[in-house]
Amino acid sequence: MTAHEIKAGRHIGRRLQRKEDPRLLSGRGQFVDDISLPGMLHVAFARSPIARGNILSIRTDVAREVDGVHAILTQQDLARFKVDMINFYLLPPELPITPLAGGRVCYVGEPVALVIADSRHIAEDAASLIEIEYAEEDPVVSIADARHGPLVHAESESNIVQQMGEEEVSEELDALLKGAAHLVTQKVVHQRISQSPMETRGVVAVRDGTEELTLYITCQSPHMVARWTSLALGLPQTAIRVIAKDVGGGFGLKNHPWKEEVAVILAALSFGRPLKWIEDRYENLIAANQAREQEMVLQIAFDGDGKMLASHGDYSCNNGACPQVADCNIAVHMFLWAAYKMPVYGFLTRGWYSNTVGLAAYRGPWAMESLIRETALDKAARQIGIDPLEIRRRNLVTLRDQPTASCMNIPIEDITAAECLEKLVAYFDIPAFRKEQEAARKEGRYLGLGIATYVEPTGSAGSIATMTGELAQVRIEPTGMVTATMSTHSQGHGTATTMAQCIADRLGVAYEEVTVYEGDSSRGGFSPGAAGSRQGVIAGGAAIRAAEMLADKVKVLAAHLLQINKELIFIEEGMVHVTGASDKSRTLRSIAEVAYGEPSRLPPGFEPGLEAQFRYQPPPLTLTSGANACVVEVSGETGFVKIRRWISAEDCGTQINPAVVEGQVAGGLAQAIGTVLLEEMCFDARGNPTAATYKDYLLPSISDVPVFEFVHADTPSQTIGGMRGVGEGGAIIGPPTLVNAISDALSIFGEVPVELPLTPAKLLGIIEGRDIAGHAHAEPDSKPAVGEPLVEASAVETLAETPPEVPALIDGDWKMVLSTPMGPQEMKGHFESEGQSLSGYLSSPEGEQGFTGTVEGNRVTFDLKVVKPLKITLKYDLTVEGDKLTGKVKMGIFGSAKLMGERVREAVEA
Amino acid sequence: MSKHDVTMTINGRRHSGSVEARISLADFLRDEAGYTGVHLGCEHGVCGACTVIVDGNAVRSCLMLAVQAEGSGVKTAEGLAAPDGALHPVQQAMLDEHALQCGFCTPGVVMTLAALTGDEKKPTEEQLLAAMSGHLCRCTGYQGIRRAVRRLAGAEAGGNS
Amino acid sequence: MKPAPFDYIAPRTIAEACSTLAEAGGGATVLAGGQTLMPLLNLRMSQPFILVDINKIAELKGVSRVAGGIRIGPMTRQCEVLADEALARDLPVLVEAMSHVGHHQTRNRGTIGGSIALGEPAAEMPAAAVALGASIEVRSIRGTRTVPAEQFYAGPYLTVLEPDELVTGLTYPDWPQGHITVFREVAQRPGDFALLGLVGALVIDRGKITRAGLAWFGMGPTPIKARAAEQMLRGRTLAEIDSHAVAERAISDTAPFDDHHASAEYRRTVGKRIFARTLREALDIREVA
Repeated sequence: MTAHEIKAGRHIGRRLQRKEDPRLLSGRGQFVDDISLPGMLHVAFARSPIARGNILSIRTDVAREVDGVHAILTQQDLARFKVDMINFYLLPPELPITPLAGGRVCYVGEPVALVIADSRHIAEDAASLIEIEYAEEDPVVSIADARHGPLVHAESESNIVQQMGEEEVSEELDALLKGAAHLVTQKVVHQRISQSPMETRGVVAVRDGTEELTLYITCQSPHMVARWTSLALGLPQTAIRVIAKDVGGGFGLKNHPWKEEVAVILAALSFGRPLKWIEDRYENLIAANQAREQEMVLQIAFDGDGKMLASHGDYSCNNGACPQVADCNIAVHMFLWAAYKMPVYGFLTRGWYSNTVGLAAYRGPWAMESLIRETALDKAARQIGIDPLEIRRRNLVTLRDQPTASCMNIPIEDITAAECLEKLVAYFDIPAFRKEQEAARKEGRYLGLGIATYVEPTGSAGSIATMTGELAQVRIEPTGMVTATMSTHSQGHGTATTMAQCIADRLGVAYEEVTVYEGDSSRGGFSPGAAGSRQGVIAGGAAIRAAEMLADKVKVLAAHLLQINKELIFIEEGMVHVTGASDKSRTLRSIAEVAYGEPSRLPPGFEPGLEAQFRYQPPPLTLTSGANACVVEVSGETGFVKIRRWISAEDCGTQINPAVVEGQVAGGLAQAIGTVLLEEMCFDARGNPTAATYKDYLLPSISDVPVFEFVHADTPSQTIGGMRGVGEGGAIIGPPTLVNAISDALSIFGEVPVELPLTPAKLLGIIEGRDIAGHAHAEPDSKPAVGEPLVEASAVETLAETPPEVPALIDGDWKMVLSTPMGPQEMKGHFESEGQSLSGYLSSPEGEQGFTGTVEGNRVTFDLKVVKPLKITLKYDLTVEGDKLTGKVKMGIFGSAKLMGERVREAVEA
Repeated sequence: MSKHDVTMTINGRRHSGSVEARISLADFLRDEAGYTGVHLGCEHGVCGACTVIVDGNAVRSCLMLAVQAEGSGVKTAEGLAAPDGALHPVQQAMLDEHALQCGFCTPGVVMTLAALTGDEKKPTEEQLLAAMSGHLCRCTGYQGIRRAVRRLAGAEAGGNS
Repeated sequence: MKPAPFDYIAPRTIAEACSTLAEAGGGATVLAGGQTLMPLLNLRMSQPFILVDINKIAELKGVSRVAGGIRIGPMTRQCEVLADEALARDLPVLVEAMSHVGHHQTRNRGTIGGSIALGEPAAEMPAAAVALGASIEVRSIRGTRTVPAEQFYAGPYLTVLEPDELVTGLTYPDWPQGHITVFREVAQRPGDFALLGLVGALVIDRGKITRAGLAWFGMGPTPIKARAAEQMLRGRTLAEIDSHAVAERAISDTAPFDDHHASAEYRRTVGKRIFARTLREALDIREVA
């Protein structure tokens, strides 16, 4: 696809009023709790009050007696349904997860029983009367507990749910770090966050006949939900229709159904009446999957001039007990140094189980990369004695340096982080601020300036099964109005508006004449919806191209009808005009009427009607760049932080609707403010969540969020339309910008440990030089790569046990399955040994590749060099036992994968 | 468990129902009277999404029992627009200033602003912003709400913003 | 989160309310403004058998002059307190404190009596009552008694109210015209639980402090009368006051908690500082070097 620059046109680039707003402002939105169906019953759950233990008994007899109760179900009742709680990538979970707890509970709030009743009130009455006996055990709560404590899940080898990177720091990296002129170590401890959309989760499930299922569900893509449900519940023949007209925010929580929703759907399938479950806020805060509980240690080696030479990162995140997607957050490491010149980077990254509610996505799941990097750079600037701007200028990738590739081999072609920074610096008078800061300090007032730059991966498509392109279906009705069906979905994104703008712009009609439909899986085509800052980029491109195709069709037909050269025809404001012949103008409606109703007048080969569709597959990745700055004042009296000013210099390419763009950035920045100053989901030692209401889980209110200033850049991307994604950026760049400002304000007192949230008590403690917050520093449990020993291997996965020696019988053919993070890979292996020498080949649908290696007893090792997805050497280490093959494959930075194999037996010939 | 007959005027129309005492005004408005524009964001009186106008005052409908609204006049977002469909000035200001994204907190915000404006009330921008402290929005960062408030305060003061 | 079932009654007189409370034998809860009780009901943290709604009792409303003070009916809405001219004139610190209670929307329903009767440790109204020397009239079928606010609070959300008793009047003694008001709340955002706060009044007569009523909120299980500080201030001339020394005394009476929002040490540290500063600002005196 070539770059396609859209100038501020008729509709693209304008702050048009949103099409969604009139109904939403009038309270006429259709959210899932607004759905009421004949015969509908209501669901409530009985939930585990303990974080870990066995369920000894469940007694429902008293609860069943409550008037208005229809049924009470436990996992025993649901067990007959084979459910595979697949993740966003459609891969099975590391360990089986059941919709309701079966036998064991592993987090406080885990749903144990489901009540169906006439009303939610009655369902809750009954739920409170269910008697459940538990044998309580001591829970594993924090990452530190997970490292050193007992297994969360007995079936797993360790509490590591996923690991990538290298356990050992390479000699080269070690030498670079140790020998550096300056070595800076930054640690970040990040609290757990609840995505907390204003609309909680919820579903209405209706079985219409034996092979039809309708779900009204608050989600981030009806198509994603339909696909997920079909696969997870094993319903290949069932027509699943998912409807979600209005959704009150998703932020990653609502990518696909989870335990409660699945339980309700299964209950509806078996019970035969529509069932509604609406999560209440208490449930949402304690039992809906959460995010962001992480810690990281980053070390950066600088030369004497402040240029970066090498870096190492050790990252851990708390996946909880039942993560929606097992995640060691490789994305943190992929993008950590994308915008900067970093020659060598090594890392170890791990996700840990714990007896807490599981992990789900949250706006910019890899946000730690910007937080730790940008705060580390400021720390380095202070340590080395360089201006924080300078240290960035010396290390950022500029346009002149591109095209290049990052140290993780990500192609870097059109990022402008360095240029956004300069734009920011030109806009904001830093020297004047420094004077003001100096003067304020003398009065005991602590002003601070924070700056951060970043790039954000957006519009990702093509490398993951669910991250597809987007489909636009556009038609001109016989009435001349324009109708479009998109694969997009809005939970506030305003896609009906932005797509209408794209279509109106390229078609040549008024914005008011375009209606966009989305939010129903029976129309449009597959897309994962709002996930990864992608819809504006990809669907925008699809809408533009489909509209252009349709416009061309109109021109072909009009040219034929008017007997005029097609090149002279243009469409404007819903009229078809001929250049230089104003008497020949026609309404779009008149052309449409012919297209649909008068086939004899159509040109030969012309498909009747005026309909066009285009599924856009964009380039694999579109990077958005940005720089932010903010000014804070930290009170020496109370430790409160007041944000005085905030400037966002974002380069998101073409802006379809600047008001929508700014809305997305502002929303992310507000969440960043909440993350840094206010929000915290804690657990006590028993695994009880301690912030179960909004009195304790503090969301940013209007007084917390300043008026944001926007300094846009708009370097068009390589996509159709030139858009770049913005959905997650604010939540990624916001935290380091604010933390840097606070650190700058208090730099005269020392470094501010980055342990979020930065509460007034913590900040006051920095100012007064003593512990006021009441607990010792929450030091990350992981140690820096250099200077302190790494975590012992005992907490970490060990190799498979070596079985007793048997003669090596590797020779022959094997059917093998490799469990990679991208999914199970099947292949055939052919082995031939001669003494200790091994040779053979592996074959898969992609092709065949030969190898040589070694045989020692029943142990077989060999290397395989691959180029996709990256250039890495796969190191196979397998053990033969009879007709079974087991072992591990080291996949470079992607860690280790398990391999299982079975000997292929020749068919016995008669 | 007592049941009560309750009659109130909602958006200008009389509604009668028979409800358990424990039914909140919010639930009554949504389930009995069909005004699903009243949203439940928390049911513990913090988020403000359920805000309606009762006898002229903005109140959290999740913190009132339906029986307590007996004989009262209630207004929800559905009842604000003019009979010909023209948006209420608050709705118009929020539309013009892009003050919403997902729309879930929106009806509550609209009702607080509607309660404080109009009818010669002349609130200052500060007063309107202070009343906004009772509303949580997860989407917008309150930027458009601030602009809408400025517009409304300016309009109330008789000037153009 | 829907409440457990309950019976509901809305008496029209105090007598009716009291006899209902008596009959319920401890299974009744009083519903005033509902801004705190309704969340508890919704969360099922409170499950009364019978809810006694006192919103219809006319006798419980209104602000009136009594001998030596002002009587405020407990069902006076918080927004009505804010708008009352007599209170603005005679008890300005009460009005100032009320402007910090909750949000505009909750003040439209919430009542001053409800806040007084709840006894939330971080609440402004109980502390203001203690500081200003208010007395709380309490009635049951067994009779009427008056409890000084200082003796009303026993612990977090715990007052000396018996299960069959109803708060029927709040009487605030007069403070002379021109008295000094003291109010400072430390809260991250308007309407949040206060992390800590200070409220009260001082009278200066011929250069000396003749009367002092000061109380903390958010600094212990109940509102805390800053007795030691009051004592230190009484009889002093303005020039004699060392705000830090008084603040030190004031803190010594407190017993702040560690909780999700702030540590005890934070409360002590900031409490002492804001006490000293608020005192200086109220009295318009300088810091002693």
